[in-house]
Amino acid sequence: MQNYEFTKEELAKIDKIIAKYPNPQPAVMPVLWMAQEKFGHVEPEVQQLVAKTLDLTPAHVYGVASFYTQYYKEKKGKYVLDVCTSFSCQACGAYDTLHELEEKLGIKAGETTEDGMFSIQSVECLGACGYAPMMQITNDVYVNHLTSEKLDKVIEGLKQDKLPEFEPIPLVQNREPAEEK
Amino acid sequence: MAEIFIDNKRFEFEGPTKVLQFILDNGLELPFFCYHPSLSIPANCRKCFVEAGQPVFNRETNSFELDENGERVIRFFPKLMTACSLDATDGMVIKTHVTSELVRRGQKDTLELILINHPLDCPICDQAGECPLQIQTYKYGPEGSRFEHKKVHKPKRIQLGPRVVLDAERCINCTRCVRFTDEISKSKQLTIVQRGDNNYPVTAPGLEFDDPYSVNTVDICPVGALTSSDFRFKARVWEMSQTPSIDITNGKGCSIDIWTRDNLVMRITPRYNPHINDYWMPDAGREAYKIYNENRISRPEVNVDNQKIKSSWNNALLTTSEKIQSIQPNEILVVGSAYASVEDNFALAKFFGQLGQEKAVFAPNIIEGSGDDFLISDDLAPNTSGCEFLGIDQLDKEKLAAEITSDQYKLIVILHEDVVGRQIVTADQLASKFSIYLGTNKNQTSAVSNVVIPVTTAAEHFVSYVNVQGRIQRTIPAKETLYTNRRLDLEMSMGRLDHFGTQFDNWVTDKNKIDCIPAWEFLVRLAHELNIDFKFNSAREVFQEIVAGTDHFSDVSYERIDSELGVDLANKQKEELNLA
Amino acid sequence: MSAIDWKSYTPILIPNIKDYHKIDVYEKHGGYGGLKKILKDQTEFTPEKVTNTVKDSGLRGRGGAGFNTGLKWSFMPKPDGGPRYIAANGDESEPGTFKDRVIFEYNPHSFIEGAIIGAYAMSITTVYVYIRGEYRSWINMMQKAVDDAYEKGYLGKNILGSEFSVDMVVHSGAGAYICGEESSLMESLEGKRGYPRVKPPFPAQKGLWGRPTTINNIETFANVPHIINNGSEWYKGIGASTHAGPLLYGISGHVNRPGVYEYPSGMLITDLIHGAAQGVRGGKKVKAVIPGGSSTPPLRGDSLEGVRMDSDSLREAGSMLGTGGMCILDEDTDMVDFLWRVSHFYHHESCGQCTPCREGTGWLEKTLLKIKRGDGTVRDLDLLLDLCSQMEGRTICALADAAAWPVRYTVTRFREDFEARVKKTVYALA
Repeated sequence: MQNYEFTKEELAKIDKIIAKYPNPQPAVMPVLWMAQEKFGHVEPEVQQLVAKTLDLTPAHVYGVASFYTQYYKEKKGKYVLDVCTSFSCQACGAYDTLHELEEKLGIKAGETTEDGMFSIQSVECLGACGYAPMMQITNDVYVNHLTSEKLDKVIEGLKQDKLPEFEPIPLVQNREPAEEK
Repeated sequence: MAEIFIDNKRFEFEGPTKVLQFILDNGLELPFFCYHPSLSIPANCRKCFVEAGQPVFNRETNSFELDENGERVIRFFPKLMTACSLDATDGMVIKTHVTSELVRRGQKDTLELILINHPLDCPICDQAGECPLQIQTYKYGPEGSRFEHKKVHKPKRIQLGPRVVLDAERCINCTRCVRFTDEISKSKQLTIVQRGDNNYPVTAPGLEFDDPYSVNTVDICPVGALTSSDFRFKARVWEMSQTPSIDITNGKGCSIDIWTRDNLVMRITPRYNPHINDYWMPDAGREAYKIYNENRISRPEVNVDNQKIKSSWNNALLTTSEKIQSIQPNEILVVGSAYASVEDNFALAKFFGQLGQEKAVFAPNIIEGSGDDFLISDDLAPNTSGCEFLGIDQLDKEKLAAEITSDQYKLIVILHEDVVGRQIVTADQLASKFSIYLGTNKNQTSAVSNVVIPVTTAAEHFVSYVNVQGRIQRTIPAKETLYTNRRLDLEMSMGRLDHFGTQFDNWVTDKNKIDCIPAWEFLVRLAHELNIDFKFNSAREVFQEIVAGTDHFSDVSYERIDSELGVDLANKQKEELNLA
Repeated sequence: MSAIDWKSYTPILIPNIKDYHKIDVYEKHGGYGGLKKILKDQTEFTPEKVTNTVKDSGLRGRGGAGFNTGLKWSFMPKPDGGPRYIAANGDESEPGTFKDRVIFEYNPHSFIEGAIIGAYAMSITTVYVYIRGEYRSWINMMQKAVDDAYEKGYLGKNILGSEFSVDMVVHSGAGAYICGEESSLMESLEGKRGYPRVKPPFPAQKGLWGRPTTINNIETFANVPHIINNGSEWYKGIGASTHAGPLLYGISGHVNRPGVYEYPSGMLITDLIHGAAQGVRGGKKVKAVIPGGSSTPPLRGDSLEGVRMDSDSLREAGSMLGTGGMCILDEDTDMVDFLWRVSHFYHHESCGQCTPCREGTGWLEKTLLKIKRGDGTVRDLDLLLDLCSQMEGRTICALADAAAWPVRYTVTRFREDFEARVKKTVYALA
């Protein structure tokens, strides 16, 4: 079993987080985020580390971690592809995109590829309804206006550990002349 | 005084109160699941719906607005309100399911929704018979279900800890168990996990629910989601008789109920007593059912040629009286016990006092730091204060050992105290003396005593104990001995089996009745043998004499103890001192 | 109401200025001017006056409920020396809503300035900005903007040399729609499971850590500097009289040019679809419009004439303004499929605290799935409506209502679509 610890620097950072709130308990969510970034998941041992660090009961941390969907309570692929299938995206063909992605990677939503590179999830609204279909990669960058070609490009990039670049939100109102020039 | 109208009836109330609690306090009915008077109010089960309205107050006229009939104009809340979280206000009008169709519908709707994912396994569920969900479904529920889909599946038969088993599918998410560990026992070992209809309470992965108060969650669980590993599948609720009693496993003396079936104690649950334990008790106290059932001394035993043989009561009495007559009273050491009742200790001291030995001693069993500041005291015995108040000499373990081994004494009479098991003296030390042991269970002391007299436990006779706070409480017999009969003793409780079972059917046998008598009764018989004027007909008579002759107990009676859930002797003492 | 000259409208919440998100650019264009004006002359701009100005402007909350913002501020009790909080709600998770993200990216400082002004008006000690965890990139942008504002002395101790101090903390959620509900947001901020609280007590009495707290939407705060700069009369003149000010309309679905648009409130829905968003894809007809996020009742495409995006007009039409996140569905849309997906969302996001929502959302979804598969009966349609009645107004928070409304109004307004999908009722003849 892996031994999960925070470094001295991380503990100092956690102290700074705690200082933002009247008591240490609210730091549980930021510290779970820190732990997930460091270890890639928040499995029970990691939850216990968080509990110990913040002097909370393991049960409390477990309750919180299991309430929020973005915490990975079990190990996931290196890149988690969250395809939004909520109704605006659904209307714009998100399920087709999802199925296409499933075919390309040979796994179903909720599964992880054998090499541990990719997981696919069908997720709820990511707040990018105007740029559907879209997905988020491992709780990080948004990839908008997905097409078959764009999916291929993103997957190829990720296989070489290249995250797609950040796409600014396309603002169209009163801006098209500037963009057209 | 503020007034509130519930189903067109006027009530008065004082101070802040929630509507549901007020309704319950007044003996009215309103169904609920998640509410518990000693816990915070989450209002999550949505069962205690009422219609609530307030009179319209006109600030200009400084009075309530009236309609054309002279009645107050009532402005009702637009939604159904949960009575548990609703503060009663002056002039409030409440309509419950008794008068409101809307409320009836709301409560029924909630029940239908609670049931859609609840398994239909009442026939094999331990909670059946005392299950609020089952009772309310019988009373108010829909007859069938319109839910034609697969129910949500969740973990079943999860051993949460050494004493509690979880069936998450039965859980209705009232969160009482989580609130109990957060707010009462403060171990915070439980949490609700997941979200939505996958919610259920559990411990953190890999951790045990070993809270010393864990089984209280089983008591307050309104369904069969949490069950006691010990009691699981042992008895149906309706087969048992329920008798009020006291926890004798530590000095706190929680009020309890003893549940018996065919004179075996099946389980022990806490009984509400705001002065001592509220609705709770430690898990250790529930294990006491074993003391009552197992390893009992039944029928007297007498040492003949270093061999312990069962003997008749007559023979045991003769052996004892001959021994007493053969020595001087000051050669008898009388050992009382904080494990024995007020009545038995008093009778013991009085009997030997009349015989000429004025001194009786006992050694309390207090281990500093072994308790907590809740319901487990450092004092391991239930009646240390009682012995003190009776004036029994208090010795520490070493002093008691010196007394027992002293050459001055030729006969040691021991009431209840396991002096060998407690390592006060060794078995050899005791064996070198002639000793008479009046005890309930076989132990290392009974093994080496010359005469062993089986006496009744707290579950078999009327006795009182004084707890560490100085509060006196009493027990009522829950199980019969060979010489008692619940059909004749009007104070004993009778469940269905006790009522209708006979020894000619499979339900009721005599084998669980122990051949024992109360210690005071043995002493009465002994007095008869010795021609001493020492006579009691009942524990009540013993107690009446205590009350008449002992300052601490003045003005106390069994009736007062019953109606006031115990009487505080320590504070009574203080009050008298203040008066002086 | 006169027609809105929306074509010549110049956005103020997302102005067309390059690098406006940078604090220097924001300042160059008059940014933090409102705050400076207030702090320079605190005898003139007392907290009460600021609150009243916002109240008079008619600014209503942009998070969905549409309550008068200044009025909400006035509910805060008198300061007692203890801590008081603002929780700025950037959880935006209602499907169809994607407008606050634009503020984080393009105009964070106008939100920060608005929140500081709000903090001044209510004597707040700390502002917590709760942003949904999925917005990682935008949380970082927001954090940068807050850091910059600290550096320039707009946040922290003795702001701009005055006696007024306030801190701002950016807090990330982690994937829970319910945390957009104000009391759930507070629970989440306190480091707990996001279970909504029973009200009363209301946040102004007992909010974060038991102290007085006000919760406002991100977009709401972004409006405040403009009100302070230009006065409440000016603000009231923008858009619909009962729902004043500019709105961020998020338009998604089957339109040619989806996106976030800023126009005055009270825009005709038809103008937004056919004007701003340049019409329906492929020239198809509109079947349904969801005007303000998935919980608002959908309107039929043939009932849109004259309906405006303000709370009164939409109420008349049988819906709500919600968050202003519109979704346009064309004539080919399968309404059963649509409704199942919406129900799936609420089933997934129900926190599970109280019974009607925990059980009802699942039952709704399962029933809709049955109908979607073609196994439904007409009775199931009635059951759906029954279930809605069993959920509406029966829970601690409004999630059950949000789950029930789209079901109720989609099934009743598009009943023919549903009847076409269920089995024909067959009576056996004896």
